Amino acid sequence: MILRKPLAFLKKDFLMEISYRFAFFLQFGGIFFSVVMFYFVAKLIGDAPTVQSSLSRYGGEYFSFVLVGIAFSNFLSVGLGSFSTSIRGEQMMGTLEAMLVTPTRLSTVIVSSSQWNFAFTSIRVGVYLLLGALFFGVDFSNASVLPALTALVLTVIAFSSLGIISASFIMIFKRGDPLAWLISTSSTLLGGVYYPVSILPHWLQVLSLFFPITYALDAIRLSLLQGYGFAGIARDLLALTVFSIVTLPISLVIFRYAVRRAKKDGSLAYY
Amino acid sequence: MIQYTHMAETVLQTRDLTKEFTRLRGLSSPRRFYDKTRFTAVDKVNLSVERGEIFGLLGPNGAGKTTLTKMLCTLILPTSGSATICGHDLVRNGDRVKSTIALISSEERSFYWRLSGRRNLEFFAALYGLSRKQARERIPEVLETVGMTEAADRRFQEYSTGMKQRMALARGLLADPEIFFMDEPTKGLDPLASRDLHQFIRDRLIAAGKTVIIATHQLAEAEELCDRVGIMYRGRMQAVGGVRELAGDESLAGFFHTLVSSTGERQ
Repeated sequence: MILRKPLAFLKKDFLMEISYRFAFFLQFGGIFFSVVMFYFVAKLIGDAPTVQSSLSRYGGEYFSFVLVGIAFSNFLSVGLGSFSTSIRGEQMMGTLEAMLVTPTRLSTVIVSSSQWNFAFTSIRVGVYLLLGALFFGVDFSNASVLPALTALVLTVIAFSSLGIISASFIMIFKRGDPLAWLISTSSTLLGGVYYPVSILPHWLQVLSLFFPITYALDAIRLSLLQGYGFAGIARDLLALTVFSIVTLPISLVIFRYAVRRAKKDGSLAYY
Repeated sequence: MIQYTHMAETVLQTRDLTKEFTRLRGLSSPRRFYDKTRFTAVDKVNLSVERGEIFGLLGPNGAGKTTLTKMLCTLILPTSGSATICGHDLVRNGDRVKSTIALISSEERSFYWRLSGRRNLEFFAALYGLSRKQARERIPEVLETVGMTEAADRRFQEYSTGMKQRMALARGLLADPEIFFMDEPTKGLDPLASRDLHQFIRDRLIAAGKTVIIATHQLAEAEELCDRVGIMYRGRMQAVGGVRELAGDESLAGFFHTLVSSTGERQ
């Protein structure tokens, strides 16, 4: 019974998604082209000694490195954007008020509205990895699945905390969310999605330590590509845990304030 | 004419319920862009509605009807004053209040247009806390009640305005609430569909002991349907009572216009 409402959201969002069949399948085509593109970029870069030394921590091979980076950075996008996108979507469809007049808390509405995005992102990430393994020779035979999944869960919590703060901006200002923009662009620049953090100037490497994506991608790459266990990625897991413990309560307090303010302003369903 | 039995059980009571909004002056006064203006949308409204009543909330556009309705549905927080609905405090026990009410709006966009009527009801049934089994039993019942059984599996976007309004009613009926708030329920409906809705309210809702609060500016509708009306103007409740009690031999429209003009002159 406790999962009744979240499951209802999941089912509704799934049905809505597949009602746009063409767009649904087109997304998988996009993944294929993205993988192929990076395969050729990797061929261009080749096995140059500088590449091998920069990537030695992750096995020394660029395509595997970037495949995991672009696949899992999807969780950054969905964690940061999904909550605010869901609120804005429901506001624009006019369904938010209809939901909020039912005995369902706004926090349940927001979290449940984002489930499909996370579920669909997991499928997308799976497709990235599958394509890489089946057609482009990426070797996951040494992967440590449990440590990777643990890192993934912590990553989702850490990114979601930031996403909830971002949703608070949307709740009050309706459009324009400086936080999501700043974190998203900075994370892509500093977090090691397309290149290892180690090639950045020292001061940028220091700055990258403040972004959860740096630890998330490091942990997932080490466990999936190098087979590291919990001990090998302990530093990353600890950093992600601390980040989540600090930001999650803060994000919930900010969100509660934003909802109260929107209810005071009477602007809950405005967009 | 159906006779209604009025039991003296108060299901809704407000005490000096007030809503003030604060707005930035913005571009209307660029030199004082960030100055704030206060606007009282609902001003010290005292209201009491009994079980089994059809209460009409009347007033011109901007009178405060929708703000009052949204406050009573917990969608807007009051600035001051208090209200109880079925004995639950509006602000402190918002979740309990929500279990006793349904808001039926003329807003067609409050559904998922790409899903069928039945899928929409399944989703909202879960939000109202109905178990899967309860929903399986309840949804065909409410579809039957509003005459939408055959069209239930068509996409919502294919429905006519009247059908969409009936689906809004069906959604309101799902959790079997005590009080139905209806915001302009006949907006966009043809005379036949409006008549059907009035009949539904009397024969199904009131007969079952429910209370209906209708916000409307259609005076003929209120005169025909409501047991009592409250006339709002500029955020204040200017008059409350039975239609004949207020208007006497005059039409409700005549009384309304006299009241609004005299209030406008006073203010």
